[in-house]
Amino acid sequence: MAITRRATVQGLGIGALLPFAPRLALGQPAGILTRPIPSSGEPIPVVGLGTWITFNVGDDPVLMEECAAVMAAFFEGGGRMIDSSPMYSSSQPTIGYGLRKLGYPERLFSAEKVWISDPGQGGAQIAASRAHWGVDKFDLMQVHNLVSWEEHLPVLLEMKAAGQLRYVGITTSEGRRHREIEKVMASQPIDFVQATYNILDREIESRILPLAREKRIAVIANRPFREGDLIRELEDEPLPGWLTETGARNWAQFLLKFIISHPAVTCVIPATTRVDHVRENLEAAGGTLPGEKLRRRMIDYVEAL
Amino acid sequence: MSEWGTYTLTDFLMFSPRVYFRLIERYNQEFWPLQLVFIAGALFLLVPAALQAPRARAAVLPLFSLAWAFCAWQFLWTRYASINWAMSYAAAAFFAQAGLLVMAALLPRSPTYAGGLRHHGGIGLAVCGLLVYPFIALVAGRPPATAETFGMMPDPTVATTFGAMLIVGQRRLWLLLPIPIVWCVYSGLTLWAMDDLGALAPFAVIVATLVLLLAGRFFEKVTP
Repeated sequence: MAITRRATVQGLGIGALLPFAPRLALGQPAGILTRPIPSSGEPIPVVGLGTWITFNVGDDPVLMEECAAVMAAFFEGGGRMIDSSPMYSSSQPTIGYGLRKLGYPERLFSAEKVWISDPGQGGAQIAASRAHWGVDKFDLMQVHNLVSWEEHLPVLLEMKAAGQLRYVGITTSEGRRHREIEKVMASQPIDFVQATYNILDREIESRILPLAREKRIAVIANRPFREGDLIRELEDEPLPGWLTETGARNWAQFLLKFIISHPAVTCVIPATTRVDHVRENLEAAGGTLPGEKLRRRMIDYVEAL
Repeated sequence: MSEWGTYTLTDFLMFSPRVYFRLIERYNQEFWPLQLVFIAGALFLLVPAALQAPRARAAVLPLFSLAWAFCAWQFLWTRYASINWAMSYAAAAFFAQAGLLVMAALLPRSPTYAGGLRHHGGIGLAVCGLLVYPFIALVAGRPPATAETFGMMPDPTVATTFGAMLIVGQRRLWLLLPIPIVWCVYSGLTLWAMDDLGALAPFAVIVATLVLLLAGRFFEKVTP
């Protein structure tokens, strides 16, 4: 799929078109790029917040406060989507703690997962997740890593029809079960698909991203930094002299800009425990995005390091 | 390639080293100085057992079950399970091991020395579990508050229990070894995934125990 600067700009939402406008609906701060969720047109900021590992802090009060501060900075900076899973141990209660502390920001877009092989227990697991978050319903419920998806998906679609969910999706990570993901995308009326996408893991570009555009499915990109490994590998390497052309200030933004500049990507969900990092990540959702030529140059540069 | 072949060790690590070691630190601070009580209690049982006092030999493993149960309840179930859901299963396994150790009172032991090598090796292993293990935190570059001690944390509890089994010449070890060995493998791999030098210790405990058992058996056969 050819990506031009025009295509990139067209893929952006109203937040991008009106960068200096006053706060939009739900208090959208100016300058944060949004993309529409294809099935509804609802704009969503292109940078969200993942919680794998980073929010799994048990009942450690110091670390729970740190996570709440990250969430506060995330919402203040214009973020909306927080993504979690029952698989992430205490991440859900940590989110719940942060949300209570912040008074349940109206702009929250809650993305959760059902992750249980016994389909009969899916409803109970979703109810437990709601209790951890302290919300009445989730915006998005995804079948985690395709676990028992044939059984869970019809239930989730029924819940959506009954107004108990707003969107339904499926997830995978690290390139696993892509053929099956494509099968679900082609045959099921899902709103979201979540998969790994970063400057080195680009397998979804060939089939999943084009299929998502064709089927009007929103795409959440996970593992943008390969759980921090990419940042650790690159941080001692020289930034390219043409960095400013990408709109980035540092390696983290360079990597995020690459992901969100693909027009089929709706949202990327970097995880962090640091307020300065969440601000940096959100900053990547502003300003210019690289077009196709520059994206190719970014790939070549990183692969050559 | 099978899907399992795409996973690496770190894919199974669902918490950061910082969270894990802070959890241990807070746990140690909460119970201090119980750590010393556990170590002193174990020595109180092991010294007479090593000197072949019959009552101590019979009582040591059943009483060690208290350490296993405490570890299962307070560390695995109450704390570690909050950041690692798999630990609820580990806690159940540790409670089961506590039950097996109580049952050890009914299982046969060698009538006198279980062979010099096993006996002395068992003393060495128990000393490592009780007195050396707490210093592994320092060797690994961690704060002393993250020290792992017998009765409080699983790894030194396993090491000391293996030592005790060898000291008292416990028989039917096929019943008592599987749970601790599986734990040591899991614990070692977890620490390895966190790049902690302490990862070597649980594997060393397994190797030392198995070598002592096999070597002890060999010498038992060749010694008249």
